[in-house]
Amino acid sequence: MNEMGWTERLRPYISLMFAIIASFTVGAFLLWILGINPLRAYQVLFEAGLGKLGITQTLIKMTPLLMISAGLMIVLSAGIWNLGEDGQFLIGAILVGVAAPIINAYLPKIPALLILGMIGFLGGAAWAIIPAVLRIWYGLNEIITTIMTDYLAIYLTSWLVKGPFRDPSVIPPQTPVIPLVRRIPQIWGGVHIGLIIGVVAVLGVHFLMRNSTIGWKILVVGKSIKTAVHTGIPVARLSMMAFLLSAGFAGLAGANGVLGVKGLFQGDWNPAYGFTAFALVYMARFKGGTVIFLAYFFSFLLLGGQMMSLRLGTPVFFVTILEGLMLIFFVVNEYLFQHVLERRRS
Amino acid sequence: MKTQLRINQPDLKGEGTGSPSNQEALVQMRGITKRFPGVVANDGIDLDLYPGEIHSLLGENGAGKTTLLNILSGIHQPDEGTISVRNEVVHFKSPHDALEHGIGTVYQHFALVPNLSVAENVILGLNTAWILDLKGAERRIQRTMEKFGLTIDPHLQVQYLSLGQQQRVEIVKVLFRKPKILLLDEPTSVLTPSEVGELFRMVKQLRAEGVGVVFITHKLHEVLELSDRITILRNGQRIGAVTPEELANQTHEEISNHIVQLMFGGVPEEETEGTYAPRVSEEIVLTLEGITILDSQGVAAVRNLSLELRAGEILGIAGVGGSGQKELLEAIAGQLPVAQGNIRLGERLGEIDLTNKGVPFAMKMGIAYITDDRIGEGIITDLSVAENSVIRRIDKRPMSRWMLLRWQAIFDFANSLIGAFDIKVPSPQILAGTLSGGNIQKLLLARELSADPTVLMCNQPTHGLDVKTAQFVWKTLREQASMGAAILLISSDLDELLKLSNRVGVMYNGELLEVLSIEAADRETVGRLMLGERS
Repeated sequence: MNEMGWTERLRPYISLMFAIIASFTVGAFLLWILGINPLRAYQVLFEAGLGKLGITQTLIKMTPLLMISAGLMIVLSAGIWNLGEDGQFLIGAILVGVAAPIINAYLPKIPALLILGMIGFLGGAAWAIIPAVLRIWYGLNEIITTIMTDYLAIYLTSWLVKGPFRDPSVIPPQTPVIPLVRRIPQIWGGVHIGLIIGVVAVLGVHFLMRNSTIGWKILVVGKSIKTAVHTGIPVARLSMMAFLLSAGFAGLAGANGVLGVKGLFQGDWNPAYGFTAFALVYMARFKGGTVIFLAYFFSFLLLGGQMMSLRLGTPVFFVTILEGLMLIFFVVNEYLFQHVLERRRS
Repeated sequence: MKTQLRINQPDLKGEGTGSPSNQEALVQMRGITKRFPGVVANDGIDLDLYPGEIHSLLGENGAGKTTLLNILSGIHQPDEGTISVRNEVVHFKSPHDALEHGIGTVYQHFALVPNLSVAENVILGLNTAWILDLKGAERRIQRTMEKFGLTIDPHLQVQYLSLGQQQRVEIVKVLFRKPKILLLDEPTSVLTPSEVGELFRMVKQLRAEGVGVVFITHKLHEVLELSDRITILRNGQRIGAVTPEELANQTHEEISNHIVQLMFGGVPEEETEGTYAPRVSEEIVLTLEGITILDSQGVAAVRNLSLELRAGEILGIAGVGGSGQKELLEAIAGQLPVAQGNIRLGERLGEIDLTNKGVPFAMKMGIAYITDDRIGEGIITDLSVAENSVIRRIDKRPMSRWMLLRWQAIFDFANSLIGAFDIKVPSPQILAGTLSGGNIQKLLLARELSADPTVLMCNQPTHGLDVKTAQFVWKTLREQASMGAAILLISSDLDELLKLSNRVGVMYNGELLEVLSIEAADRETVGRLMLGERS
């Protein structure tokens, strides 16, 4: 809602493009050191994502990223760094994995899915209560506590699925498989309604943060707690709300993973979407459209990276390096832009 | 030492700006122009500074004083014009470059690390050695302070110091680097009268040692007391100067008339006392009974304070900064809890208990509070003026409906405030942080008054504002009082308090020592109470 020149408007996009190009250039150099022809590698990377299978797989992969990003857009706007997305994801997922067979036994498909989605959301949110309370009432740094609860969640879910929650009828440690008919309805070639929910969540959050009273007040809290206190905005309540909503979205992504893709919770499962979502929300500067674009792009890279390691033997974490480089270049670009603009002004 | 002795002889001083002189100027700024988006902050300004001279810069808010100072201290780079230091043309890229040329600056807003000690703050950024010699530094700091008659324990953490003491740390920080040129941006605005005296003694001592001082203030009597040369800015241009000769040969009254003429294009209209007839009613609007407020460390900031505030009156609270005034206002506004005692509102509708009910309840009951921390607490700098104007009423129609914001209504509301309070802003969509101090204060005034308060509390309402804006604020407060609002006014400017108030209370160390009628409150009586001496 502020007047800006066109350079100001375009700046985030230009800086994003620069970051992508620069990270690929450095990536090419790294591949060259590994003795892999970078052009060939990138060819494989890009080919993987094109074609019907590539596109549907990318869309499936981006769904949890969208949901987690929606939550991050809220909590980061409130000035709170909830880095516990992975743990909240897992808690949501395992609760859904356990509850699904029970609920499916009593309820028809659609109500069962709605309730399971809710269980995932609430489970994720519940997992964030301790760090949220510690941060809001006791001033403990939430970055540390959420990372700690992440590890707790990883080992807790791993133990639960090998112990009390294990389906005794199969050998690998996992929750009972949800029959295909009781999973999230599909739209196209494996792409399911979760994608639509993710897109709506991101766009909805984007709109509501700027246009609803609650979203706007959360923004005020994030910008200046002092001013919020002074003007009677309930800082603690809104911070709590933002924190739990973001954790809830992570839990919902967990429910999506179980109900839409895997059909069960497997031992030692940890897809670790948190960092990717965090990077892309920052690089998108909280803009819904850009978040969706980047979620697609990052999923596309993830898929291509798997293909690359399969065909060329590159390390599986190569795309994670690319993501990291992108974030670094993005920050550097932002800084340079600021500098150049100030120069030009003065 | 020899040059310094020569410098101190007044007959060697140059005449006016740019005139040839056998004395070398410390600083020559020529044709300095600086543009910011939408404004020309400095428009071809010339400025000379000679050794052993105090050169005052005067001008309204937004006249370009601070910009000019920031250019000389290396924060901003000029678009046009040249700066020479001791006849050498310089291009400062950063405050560090300026410091290398002997230019030390004490800014209006301090840059201290709150949880470091005084000594650590002073040596921060001095990279003289690989090994930190804190003990030695403390000794040298002590020596620097003794030399200028300053007293602060170098071990104390800066966060426990008052604003006046923090400023002393800033000054010591600069003096420690042995500047040849000292820039002071409104140094007296946070000081008590005795601290001001101390500062002036120190500045005069520096002058005697041949340091050139540039001094910015809004207070005319300070300028006249201290200056050897005065430059007056208006709308970014240098519109006049008072030379040492004029200062020596004319009376203070002649000079001040001349300066006011230059600054405002006419002597500001002094309101005659007759135009303002206070109509204090007997109706008690706000009652405080024996309240005690604890600060974040659990120490009593306000002790057993009782007070009654009547409709239509302005009750001024005087006191040295940090005597508990701010905590008092925050408690009434609901921002700070009260440990003991109670706050009650009104007689008219039966009494309403306000004690520890929170900000939203106090707002609903008609309490408005204009904070002294305008930028940090009053506004959100990177939200628009429009959004800042509705921050207290965002849940109300027509600003929002069904929990959705209605931008048109918000802009209309902001535009009506901008018009009514003459806030200088091209559009309500501009970020509030880009406004000048005076316009931010008008915005806050507009926002708080738009709720039609029964009790209006102001902390330092004209601090750092130019005379015109200050007069606007005074007029507005008087209007509010005459319309029946009860006003609680805190100010470190004693003249302001005595001019506006119907009664004056004095706080000292968390206690309300006495409440005087305006007839009984003269400067000496109030001043003595401020220092804790009961009559």
